[in-house]
Amino acid sequence: MNEILFSNEVIVYLLSETIIYGLLFLSFIVSLGILKSWNYENFNQKQFILENRSYLVESILFFTLILKVFLLPYFVYTIDNLSLLIPGAMCGAGVIEANSYGNPLLILKMIILFLSGLWFSINRLDLQKKSYPYLTIKLWLFVAIFFLLSIEYSLDIAYFTHIATETPVTCCSVLFSQVGGANGLPLGLTLAKLVWLFYLVYILLMLSIFLEKILLSVFTSALFAFIAYYAVVYFFGTYVYQLPTHNCPFCMLQSYYYYVGYLIWGLLFFSVYLIFNYGVMSYFFKTNFQKNKAMILSLLTAFVFVCSAYVILYYVRNGVFL
Amino acid sequence: MNVITIENMHKIYHENSTEEFEVLKNINLVVKKNEMVIVSGVSGSGKSTLLSLVAALEKPSSGKIIVLEELVSKLPDIHASKYRAKHIGIIFQNFNLLESLSVETNVMAPLIHSGLTFSQIEEKVQYSMKLASIEHKATQEIRLLSGGEKQRCAIARALVHNPELILCDEPTANLDKENTLKFISLLETLQELGKTIVIATHDPLFDTLTCVSRVIKMENGRIL
Repeated sequence: MNEILFSNEVIVYLLSETIIYGLLFLSFIVSLGILKSWNYENFNQKQFILENRSYLVESILFFTLILKVFLLPYFVYTIDNLSLLIPGAMCGAGVIEANSYGNPLLILKMIILFLSGLWFSINRLDLQKKSYPYLTIKLWLFVAIFFLLSIEYSLDIAYFTHIATETPVTCCSVLFSQVGGANGLPLGLTLAKLVWLFYLVYILLMLSIFLEKILLSVFTSALFAFIAYYAVVYFFGTYVYQLPTHNCPFCMLQSYYYYVGYLIWGLLFFSVYLIFNYGVMSYFFKTNFQKNKAMILSLLTAFVFVCSAYVILYYVRNGVFL
Repeated sequence: MNVITIENMHKIYHENSTEEFEVLKNINLVVKKNEMVIVSGVSGSGKSTLLSLVAALEKPSSGKIIVLEELVSKLPDIHASKYRAKHIGIIFQNFNLLESLSVETNVMAPLIHSGLTFSQIEEKVQYSMKLASIEHKATQEIRLLSGGEKQRCAIARALVHNPELILCDEPTANLDKENTLKFISLLETLQELGKTIVIATHDPLFDTLTCVSRVIKMENGRIL
């Protein structure tokens, strides 16, 4: 048996995922039953039973999907802690690369979280009305999420059971060895162009949100997430580590860096999520985008501010850039 | 104007189990504005369940319940409590008061989440206590009150949010003759104020009252 599976964090994580998956599986079965026979215009016994069941399913989904939200940072924390058990791993970057399941699993978790957030918003909208107008939409969305959850659960099992503790992994050591560390940048960008692009896309995103150009905001936020990821890893991160060759998205999650990675990635993820969520809700369900503008703009600005502050503080203290 | 409309309504407890029991069978009922309707029948005839369903404390197994143009039988739970807070005053047999709190606080309870200012709440509480003749016991704890006083406190609480419909479930079961007569006098006052009142009781005294619009007899879950 793989010793990874005896790690406290992995036991807690897999147990939680199993319980949640079990509850979601039951909800999935009940949801299919509701979708099959739902007709609000009926006043018969069957329809009343379905209405009662829908309330039960909604409650289960609400609480289990909330737990899933908390399990994402816990997953990141778990893989970061596992770096102690895997030769060559200095942080979560090495652990996530320990087999081919790691990266798809992490990306899938983020997609599920985005879709779960959308489910919360539709559920909230549905509960505000008296005639269950969005019940079928939210249950179909859950059915789609459940298929992704099933893949995620399989990947969870496959990932943790296939981490070898005897074989050394590469981790950020590879990146350390590449002076300049910018070799991994996409679209042939240089570091300077990346930073300019980061601030330009940020301004464009702020403007699109401010002017309430919904579709433009959603697409720009996806572009911003992409650019910001590389900007944090290859530019701002080096100021967090105070080392120009250290390009790692995970090390900043460690206590040595005051867990600032949780703040940086959390702000980026949450602000992009809100733009996506409120954008989709506003576009398809005609909800009010305007009242959430201030919060989204604040979160985005906080993210850019935290990233930029590391660069400015470094310059103030040392009189040079890295 | 119809305040309550019930069509082909059934209520079954323990559905699809060996203990399945149909407590209400094909109920059809209309109650008009400002009526005082007595629902009478022996224990177990379904009177209290009928009131619970009108108050959206429970849901029917099938059929329509429309109260003040609100489709109560299909209200999601979150809206059911708002509906009660807005339209319904309920007086229970056992009063359901908070024993360790004062009369004033008990009467105030339904308005806590109303969004009114404290002075507005205070004004409504004073008016309601005066209407139920319990204002002289405002600061007294419930556990120190007599049965009749508890009943008046329960009435004040049921009236504090000025509901259009008042439901009374065996309101005089725990009262002596004198307090029962006081309660009836209060009901007459409420009717004069334009309230619609439905009383579930097996007390024969109600059948003879002049203020009563109709008496509906129930037996084995059916309206006779």
